Amino acid sequence: MNREAAVTFQNVTVNLGGVLILDSVSASAPRGGCAAIVGPNGAGKTTLLLALLGQVPFRGNIRIGDTPDGRRPRVGYVPQRLQFDRGLPMTVADFLVMGLQRLPMWLGVRRRNRDQARGLLAAVRAEPLERRILGALSGGELQRVLLALALQQEPDLLVLDEPAAGVDVQGGYLFCELLERLRRERKFTQLMVSHDLATVTHHASHVILLNRRMAAEGAPKEVLTPENLSAVFGLHMGLADTHAMPDKPSLSACTAPCCREDHHD
Amino acid sequence: MIDLSPLYDLISHVLPFDCLRARFMQQALFGLILIAPMAAAMGVQVVNFRMAFFADAISHSAFAGVALGLIFAVSPHWTMPAFGLLVGLSIMALQRRSALSSDTVIGVIFSAVMAFGLAIVSRDRTVARDLQRFLYGDILTITDAHIIGLVALFLAIMAFQAWGYNRLLYIGLNPVLAEAHRVRVAFYQYTFAGLLALVVILSVWAVGVLLVTALLIVPAATARNFARSAGSMFWWALVVGITSAVVGLVISAQNWARTATGATVVLCGFAWFLVSYAVTLVRRPALR
Repeated sequence: MNREAAVTFQNVTVNLGGVLILDSVSASAPRGGCAAIVGPNGAGKTTLLLALLGQVPFRGNIRIGDTPDGRRPRVGYVPQRLQFDRGLPMTVADFLVMGLQRLPMWLGVRRRNRDQARGLLAAVRAEPLERRILGALSGGELQRVLLALALQQEPDLLVLDEPAAGVDVQGGYLFCELLERLRRERKFTQLMVSHDLATVTHHASHVILLNRRMAAEGAPKEVLTPENLSAVFGLHMGLADTHAMPDKPSLSACTAPCCREDHHD
Repeated sequence: MIDLSPLYDLISHVLPFDCLRARFMQQALFGLILIAPMAAAMGVQVVNFRMAFFADAISHSAFAGVALGLIFAVSPHWTMPAFGLLVGLSIMALQRRSALSSDTVIGVIFSAVMAFGLAIVSRDRTVARDLQRFLYGDILTITDAHIIGLVALFLAIMAFQAWGYNRLLYIGLNPVLAEAHRVRVAFYQYTFAGLLALVVILSVWAVGVLLVTALLIVPAATARNFARSAGSMFWWALVVGITSAVVGLVISAQNWARTATGATVVLCGFAWFLVSYAVTLVRRPALR
């Protein structure tokens, strides 16, 4: 088994109600990198994540590797479009304190925990949202708050389902840029599902191309070839040209692999 | 048996209403003061987990509980909570495992326990007549033994709420997210289902099968309208639950009213709800 891998999938097969959703998938996500699971609708991308989180029964083996210091790894999860009760009177601060403190919130919030929640919001650049009601947040705002909740776990592995979905292009771009910075600062491994090839080519260091079974795995340039893409997506899909993105000042400081100076395209 | 009369004397001292002079009224009030906050506190999560139908299924299992008592010649005071607990945990286990939607699972179990109870009870005419007591409840006939049982459950529920409130909120928001973030979802769900089953069954004696769910839902729904944070939701539910219970009992004992206590309590809760709804209408434009 690959010691450098943060996550290893070995012959993972998922069969739900007689429908084969994943067929003997073997792949891995390198430690400290950003791995993207890519594939068309119905390819089993989200199912693979749910199997990793223990939410779907599967055959095969999924191993989350121990941390370099031998500790059991912690997982942070950012779901796609969280399904929740928007009528719940819960502020963003409550939402973050909920996982921090055992003392029931009806007996108050400890100052230490409130400060910690503020720190998390600052880390995802969402300080102004602290007193807002959770159900009244926009898609992009909610995504940042969910990222803050996942960071609260001090994750070794951060799992994201479609981080760029439901957010406008610019918002998705900034979110991925934020993730990139956090990943470097906090040194977690990132594993995300994405159908957005522009996001993947821009941010991923490792791509797992999936269509119920493994199609290809490796560096984006090796995997996202026209041949592989047309085999998986069923029609010719050219790579999105990341340099054709709007030339905004905020993007010029991008630290993603394709924008770094050592990158030659 | 523990002597509860000093407690009753204290109640008549604190609330010097004419109608509360009789011992049975003091017992009823004390019973309601225990039941209302338990139901209101658990109701907060019943609303968050969308488990109103679950509570309905448990309350209707009361008939089957009585029937089992008849079959095994055991007091229904024991068979009702035991069977309610069994039904609650079974529904939770099926919900967690089955591919069927949760309301379908509950619907199936609900019909089965209801039919079983009615089939057995209908064989015995005297018991069939007694069933009305379970339909409408009768808090005025509550006994000291029943009250001691309620005190024990009250302590257990409040300890659970103090220990697990934040985690239950987490699970209510999204169980998959909670589990990924190391919350022991199964443990909390089963404990919650078991305690809720006991609260529901013990409340059936007070307000009857038909109105138990109201004791859970109405204070929690009202609390959602008033509250502006996750912590205050709990206190609002308690305030609404307890005031509705006390006012409902006092009104039902008045000569001009002479209504069923359980129904009057629920109507008081509904009045609270209307006020809270008006508050949201006033508040909403301010938020825009």
